[in-house]
Amino acid sequence: MTADRADVAFLGVRRLAALVRERKASPVEITRVFLERIERLDSRLRAYITVLPDAALAAASRAETAVMRGETLGPLHGVPYAVKDQFDTAGVRTTSGSRILEHHVPAEDATTISRLNAAGGILLGKLNLTEFALGGTQQFPFGQPRNPWNLDHDPGGSSSGSGIAVAAGLCAASLGEDTGGSVRSPASFCGVVGLRPTWSRVSRHGSFPLSWSMDTPGPLARTVEDAACLLQAIAGYDARDPLSSRVPVPDYTRALAGGVRGLRIGIIRELTVGPETDGEVREAVVEAARRLAQLGAVTEEISLRLVPLAGAIFMALADSDGAGVHYGWLRTRAADYDQGTRRRLLTASLIPAAIQQRAARARALLRAEMLDAFARHDLLLCPTAHQAAPPIAVARGVITSRHEVAGRFFTRRSYVTPAALAGLPAIAVPCGFTRSGMPLSLQLIARHFDEATLLRAAHAYEQQCEWWTRRPPEAS
Amino acid sequence: MRELTAEQVGALAAALDLPVTPEDVTEVTHRLNALIEALAPLAELPLERVEPVPGFVDPSPS
Repeated sequence: MTADRADVAFLGVRRLAALVRERKASPVEITRVFLERIERLDSRLRAYITVLPDAALAAASRAETAVMRGETLGPLHGVPYAVKDQFDTAGVRTTSGSRILEHHVPAEDATTISRLNAAGGILLGKLNLTEFALGGTQQFPFGQPRNPWNLDHDPGGSSSGSGIAVAAGLCAASLGEDTGGSVRSPASFCGVVGLRPTWSRVSRHGSFPLSWSMDTPGPLARTVEDAACLLQAIAGYDARDPLSSRVPVPDYTRALAGGVRGLRIGIIRELTVGPETDGEVREAVVEAARRLAQLGAVTEEISLRLVPLAGAIFMALADSDGAGVHYGWLRTRAADYDQGTRRRLLTASLIPAAIQQRAARARALLRAEMLDAFARHDLLLCPTAHQAAPPIAVARGVITSRHEVAGRFFTRRSYVTPAALAGLPAIAVPCGFTRSGMPLSLQLIARHFDEATLLRAAHAYEQQCEWWTRRPPEAS
Repeated sequence: MRELTAEQVGALAAALDLPVTPEDVTEVTHRLNALIEALAPLAELPLERVEPVPGFVDPSPS
């Protein structure tokens, strides 16, 4: 192996795949590097629920044989990845982060897993998440996931382990699922790239559901190019997901090189310079917009008056869907849920129909508002989160008043749920650090199925910065 | 919509056959009232003629 062993974990998907293809690195050796790191670091970080050392090494050995035989290699050949434990894996327990499914072993892989494996990826294990991908978990059944930039801080969720593992070099890239920010939030808090594709772009088959009209699998990676590489592998129609799209899948990696010259970018005023946005976040995102303008994009501030309500609208709709999914277990196994999950689902079970209907109509208005903005702009820009990762202690604790609920649940969700409610693709890209060393994140949103433009702009910005090259202190 | 009391929330949960502890009822009441309050501004929007459909983007199945 030509690269230093310590660096291998941070080379990323494209470079690792190239080293394997050129016979400069062995899939078995690469896999061992990641397994050793998991063994050494994950007792503190708790990114993984289940690690698969034997299966991963066996797959790596097969991958190595294929290289030596000169077989045709997939784009992820020999690259170790990991997945949120919300995706079914044949013969491997899939818990969805809950004691209720502690012993659940699916018979077949989710479509996304099949596709990543078919592209040559080597599955290292299943990653931690908030219970049933809901958010608000008080006591994680499989260990408290921790932010590798500061162990006392929240790594974000619901794809918590997916963000941690990529940031800490415990896999080359990961798969998460984003219903209302669950890929972008951990990407933001952990300082990595997180992509929510257009709803229906990626099959949901074999992924534990939360909300049928918003659930969207998506990659987390160290670079935009790596995220594009994973999206290429998983995107496209799947007969087993009747709502998956037949829109042709373009070549996402080829589209990366175009730059941003002439792209029109609307900066969402309410989320970027609004009163809820932390000063350091505002500063970093405004600077990122300035950088994009220097690269040739045409930027202007725009107003989308409904986006501040998006968090509450989302919870009225997605949580109601979730309550429907969980109704049976809520009646028979209520005590087996984490307290935070149970109370969130109980709340959703009692939302009056008139309120839910009003939220559904407001969602359509919000979507129209965003699509109208795309008549004048190619991309929308705002922070991924209103603040950097808060301490874990702040994100937990019993709710003692309704005013606390708004601060803890609605405000932060209003940054990531507009794209989810409208079914639009969005990407979280690192854009700096707070003075205390926590990552900050820029969010770009594109038209339906225009991931190519989204990735192109994100790549152009990323390559002008060095944020993505930094490594967290808990990853060494 | 009026603020819900813990007794009303408990009764709603019981009607749905959902087992809740007294502590659950207290927090669920806060959560439910917060959601109703947060969505109150929607009453000011012209929603009557808006179809409450999710964002389907690819309606042609084949």
